[in-house]
Amino acid sequence: MTAAVAVGLLVAGGSYLVLQRGLLRVVLGFVLLGHAMVVLVLAAGGDRGGFALPGNGGGEPADPLPQAFVLTAVVIAFAVTVYLLGLLRAGSEEPSPADDDARGPS
Amino acid sequence: MSLLVALAALGGLAAGAPLLTRALGRNAGYVLAAGFLGVACLLAAHTPTVLDDRTVDWSADWIPSLGVSLALRLDGVSLVFSLVALVVGALVMAYCCRYLGDASARGPVYPLLALFAAAMVGLVLADDLVLLYVFWEITTLCSFALVSTAGAKAAGPGRHALVVTVVGGLALLVAVVLLTLATGTTRLSAVLADPASVLDSPYALPIAACVALAAFTKSAQFPFQSWLPGAMVAMTPVSAYLHAATMVKAGIYLLVRMSPLFAGQTAWSAVLITVGLTTALLGAVQALREHDLKAMLARSTVSQLGLLVAVIGVGTSTALAAALLHTMAHALFKATLFMLVGIVDKETGSRDIRELSGLRKVMPWTAAATAVAALSMAGVPPMLGFVSKEYLFMGLLSADVTPWAGPVAGAVAVTASALTFAYGARIVWGAFGGPVEQPELYEPAPAFLAPAAVAAVVGVLAGPAVSLLDPVIDSATTDALPGSTPPSIYAWHGLSPELAMSATTVAVGLVLFWQRDRVDAALQRLRFPDGPALFTRGHDALLAFGGRVGAPDRSPSLAAHLARPLLAVVALGVVGLLTVGPVPARVDAGDPGRWLVVALLGAAVLGTALATRTVALVALVGVAGLFVSLWLLLSGSLDVAITLLLVEVLTAVVLVLVLRDRPLRLPAPGPRRLPTAVLAVAVGLVAAGATAALTGRRELSAAGTFFLDRAEELTGGTNVVNTVLVDFRGLDTLLESVVVGVAALGLLLLGTATVPHPTDTDDVLLRVGTHLLAPGMLLLSAWLLWRGHDEPGGGFISALVAGIAVALRQLASGTVPTRAWLQPGPLLGVGAVLSVGVGLAPLLVGDALLTPFHLVPFLSSALVFDLGVWLMVLALVVAVVQALGARPEHEQVAA
Amino acid sequence: MNALVIAPIALPLVAAAVLLLAPRSTTLARVVGIGATALVVLAAAVLLARTLTGEVPVVQVGGWPAGIAIVLALDAFGALVLLLTAAVTLLGLVYAIGTGEDRERTFTPLVLVMSAGVSGALSTADLFNLFVFVEVVLIPSYVLLTLAPRRQRIAGARLYVGVNLLASTLFLGGIGLLYGVTGTVQLGQLAGVATASAPAALAATLLLVAMGIKSAVVPLHSWLPGSYSVAGPAVTVLFSGLLTKIGLYALFRLYSVLFDGDPRFLWVLLVVAVLTMVVGVLSAVGATAVRPVLTAHMVSQIGYVLVGLGLSTAAGLGAATFFLVQYVLVKAALFMVGGAVEVRYGTDVLARVGGGLVHRERWLAVAFAGSALALVGIPPTSGFVAKLQLATAAAADGPWWVLVAVVAVSAVTMVSMLKLWNGVFWGEPSSLPAPARGASATLVGPPLLLAAVALVLGIWAEPLLAASTIAGQQLADPSAWVAAVTR
Repeated sequence: MTAAVAVGLLVAGGSYLVLQRGLLRVVLGFVLLGHAMVVLVLAAGGDRGGFALPGNGGGEPADPLPQAFVLTAVVIAFAVTVYLLGLLRAGSEEPSPADDDARGPS
Repeated sequence: MSLLVALAALGGLAAGAPLLTRALGRNAGYVLAAGFLGVACLLAAHTPTVLDDRTVDWSADWIPSLGVSLALRLDGVSLVFSLVALVVGALVMAYCCRYLGDASARGPVYPLLALFAAAMVGLVLADDLVLLYVFWEITTLCSFALVSTAGAKAAGPGRHALVVTVVGGLALLVAVVLLTLATGTTRLSAVLADPASVLDSPYALPIAACVALAAFTKSAQFPFQSWLPGAMVAMTPVSAYLHAATMVKAGIYLLVRMSPLFAGQTAWSAVLITVGLTTALLGAVQALREHDLKAMLARSTVSQLGLLVAVIGVGTSTALAAALLHTMAHALFKATLFMLVGIVDKETGSRDIRELSGLRKVMPWTAAATAVAALSMAGVPPMLGFVSKEYLFMGLLSADVTPWAGPVAGAVAVTASALTFAYGARIVWGAFGGPVEQPELYEPAPAFLAPAAVAAVVGVLAGPAVSLLDPVIDSATTDALPGSTPPSIYAWHGLSPELAMSATTVAVGLVLFWQRDRVDAALQRLRFPDGPALFTRGHDALLAFGGRVGAPDRSPSLAAHLARPLLAVVALGVVGLLTVGPVPARVDAGDPGRWLVVALLGAAVLGTALATRTVALVALVGVAGLFVSLWLLLSGSLDVAITLLLVEVLTAVVLVLVLRDRPLRLPAPGPRRLPTAVLAVAVGLVAAGATAALTGRRELSAAGTFFLDRAEELTGGTNVVNTVLVDFRGLDTLLESVVVGVAALGLLLLGTATVPHPTDTDDVLLRVGTHLLAPGMLLLSAWLLWRGHDEPGGGFISALVAGIAVALRQLASGTVPTRAWLQPGPLLGVGAVLSVGVGLAPLLVGDALLTPFHLVPFLSSALVFDLGVWLMVLALVVAVVQALGARPEHEQVAA
Repeated sequence: MNALVIAPIALPLVAAAVLLLAPRSTTLARVVGIGATALVVLAAAVLLARTLTGEVPVVQVGGWPAGIAIVLALDAFGALVLLLTAAVTLLGLVYAIGTGEDRERTFTPLVLVMSAGVSGALSTADLFNLFVFVEVVLIPSYVLLTLAPRRQRIAGARLYVGVNLLASTLFLGGIGLLYGVTGTVQLGQLAGVATASAPAALAATLLLVAMGIKSAVVPLHSWLPGSYSVAGPAVTVLFSGLLTKIGLYALFRLYSVLFDGDPRFLWVLLVVAVLTMVVGVLSAVGATAVRPVLTAHMVSQIGYVLVGLGLSTAAGLGAATFFLVQYVLVKAALFMVGGAVEVRYGTDVLARVGGGLVHRERWLAVAFAGSALALVGIPPTSGFVAKLQLATAAAADGPWWVLVAVVAVSAVTMVSMLKLWNGVFWGEPSSLPAPARGASATLVGPPLLLAAVALVLGIWAEPLLAASTIAGQQLADPSAWVAAVTR
């Protein structure tokens, strides 16, 4: 059940941020949503209760397939995130009609 | 076969017309006219067959998947309509030779007219519903193109005509589709032979409505009639041919064709008679108040088409015979009148009867021809128009929808005809009567006048000789209404009610003409809705409405566009709540430690929503990521936990690079915070609910069991997750490195507008620290890569470690890596070649894509593959550092 | 021979890698890009010919057993769409020579990667692999969008990236949930799960929503106009031909396999389809420049294709397939014409062009007229056959309002095309300064060719009809495909 709560929290927070003004909040909102998907996909493998810390002995090993999915997804998400950050930086060079971090209240 | 030849010949004329006009100039029309007459003879040669109540058929497969064939059939009805189209066409073509200048003759007019003729003949010959529709639409397009040749002033009327007729065409399409469904065939003759299937199907009413709509739009019936006067902006030959004699008769043809299905059905009759007579009356009244000769003729055409529709609605054999006969008569006299008005227009420069006067003195032959044609239109004996009108009256009187239908229809028809007489006289008198005002004018060249004169003379001669037409009309009527006994056609059939009606018509018409000034004054006071203006208003309203519908899509706010999918998710969640019943029990390992992590995570996430400063936001998102990593660790996903942690660190470094010279405060949040928060919480609840309900409720999956049990045995790797990544699902990993590489490329492109910007860091600790740290991290990275197959590690993790080393160095020293090998391009290229090469190599020996193999002992394909991934991920990090580590150019200048 | 399935994925990837390593040369990029794509077209044609016999070529990547390996497979539907996308890519690359967009060094490699991703997304039978392939399509598209030197490009790119990122997130979530319920992401093993279990249906619907965003289904379409308005002309052509089509393809595949064409939910699909048609066409008629009109029409035409899915009969799915193929070609032609006007005159805003280009750009006008007629569905163009077939399928198995919508939207489509015709081509000669040189063959040739194809496919529709009929039958009964990918 921890997974469900964690997913709910991350999705709520991420959704709130992506709906805000300012591309930085949007990007970070997507980071949170990405985390949510990581937890969700891992939870989909089933909770095997595993502490797999070295020396711990651990529970049963977790389903490796969702872990592989998540690893792939995390790297893709990272690539997209940094590209979005690149857009954010490039975006400060040109005027935007709506939301732009360059025009904060300062 | 000769039907195909006929159509092909017409098509050939259309295709060859540009060549003809290039060679012959405007005289190409004579060749075309001869061609039309030739085709007409070809078809007319089948008259004996048709009179014998047989048909000429030809067919070939066209679209067998849809059961559509190129089926042609010549029967009495199609013979009448095709001969009208071809004979009038020949006259108009001959007329064009003098009407057109050489320059405009080289334009698209001739080819389009020939194409139209081909389509019109095809339309009446088609024995396949789809084929009929195809020709129907081609005539519409030809009409639009021909109207458009009038230039910019034709844009509005052209649009009006096109939209109205295309809407009607679409109605025809619906009718075709439904008829096909009802009868199981697209063969027109088969459909018509099977009225029961149509009438008993649920589609009977829609089919009839759609057929009527199609015919009403094409034949300019009320309330669609106003496109036709507008189309008069086209040049006169076009008006004469398309918009008087033939194209507008396509609707008439369709109604006649469909008579076997619907004739005698009360609703059909009621609608056709009502609409037809309304149109007839309205058109006649409006014709009588026009001053422009061409506009008068256009209104007159509307009126005459109305009479035709009404009489087809009556649906008796007499009525249909009358419709066929009047179709011929009308085509003759109306085309003649148009051609003559065109001559007047050309010679005098005006078509306005208030400006024209006394032309009979200077153009006596033109005047005579006009008078003859007008008399035929007015229904004066012994013209063909008189005979056909007699039969119209006879047909209308036989209307039996209700007992009073016949008399009422007759009375309305007489009224319309009296008005016809009056505007006929108005045309002749208006242009040719009165004192001579332009004595310098003279008779047109004989060649110019000849086509119209021929048609006028035929109109005179055909009246008394109408019984020659009797067999054709007889056969056509039988084809239009199988099993009926058509009346015989005589020029004179004694003292009948119709004759009285004709006499009344002429008498009232004379009175109207005699009192023309008063009539005119009275009519000018009438106000009619302005059809074209109404159409334009509707058109503009549609455009404006469309603009409003599209407005939300133009919102620049990202949130507006993201909210919709999120709302969809909430809706899906609600549906799920209502539909998903009991789910299996959880297979859960309860664990208090993770609850603590989740609680802390919740606090961090809440903090991100409330943060107002950039640093706080970034830090809190980082903390949230940390707790997620911790959760992963506690859940037994060590590789994922490490990767996520490294990604977090790297993201943080990138964020610092991006944000270092940004305002510290975030912009104010969006305007609608509460709804946004509600939506976000709702989405969160749905996500949590879905995760709770749909995950953790089954045993280990089959694939998971397979990997845990057999991965080591099959791949030699003990890190199962890594074997899944590089061995079992290497394709995903390969593609993911492609994604990474493309992102790197993209960043470099974004960075092209920026210049490298060395930052001066005074933080000695950081600088020295990273100098010491970097080599160590690179070593660590290499080690992680090497052992990745067996222990946590592998290409991603080790590349991320190396990447952090590079990024930290940049952060500390501000120098962009300049070593040639540490450029994103070569890293990407080599990485891609390694990964793809290792993936494709097995194909060379006949194995499947990405089959693992050993190059040499200790150097498995998996390691090389991982190295390729390593290089591409590293390329991304270097690209990030290069692209984002620089400062935008304008800031550079300002600094 | 089965390995040929890999060619449309591997060839462009290798070509892209070669171009990145090779010295900068526009000519080389053109030769390699067009050459590789031509080979993909060839491979797709061969694959189509094989799938039409009912065969399903399959590749188990890595040689692992079914259920473990990622499986690539093509049936007639997949092969037909593959041939289509490859052809559009090929013509798009030629057209990019005309617009000059391929002078940017990374243009051709990015397009190649995108086309590889498209090929993969069309052939994969693994949900997670589909997610990855879609990302392979999207990331190059993000970059391509920002290549054009236009004002506001970043704002448009943000919108596009943001919405697609959300869609990808939802798709991943859907995959996770489906794996949570069923323990597999292999489409063959997932056949019919959404019909059998409500939780699986819910998860699968999330996948449909995600793909609905990507394919611009109303009401999830609002991002499309703003995003496409910033791309370069050739990029727009490629986007219109490849991107939303992947979403559409996935919708068909997923509904066919996961839901087994479940009749319980068809009314939802039909409502959505009709809404998409209507909203799209109204937005189109209200737009005031060429590209926005055409972009809105994409939405409308997607609605038409979805009608076939909403019917989910063999006839409806076959009609949708035919519609999809011909409309992608026609839409590409229209975007090419609009882009050519933009490239040559600097604007495509109707009020600024003011009509009259027919006097200068005769061939563009011909290409426009031909493809506009096809878009409206006027005979004898391919659009007519498509609408006839779709209307017949809708009348046979759908509610009456679908048929009404199909024809009514056509009428409004015509109004909008007439608006473009009068606003760009017809009328008095334009007052815009004439470009110094005539339009190059690479700028005018591709749209003209596509317009000719639209005419040919209308007059000689049978081959494509036969192919799409087979595709429709296989979608209506995906058992052969399912058997092939689980073997």
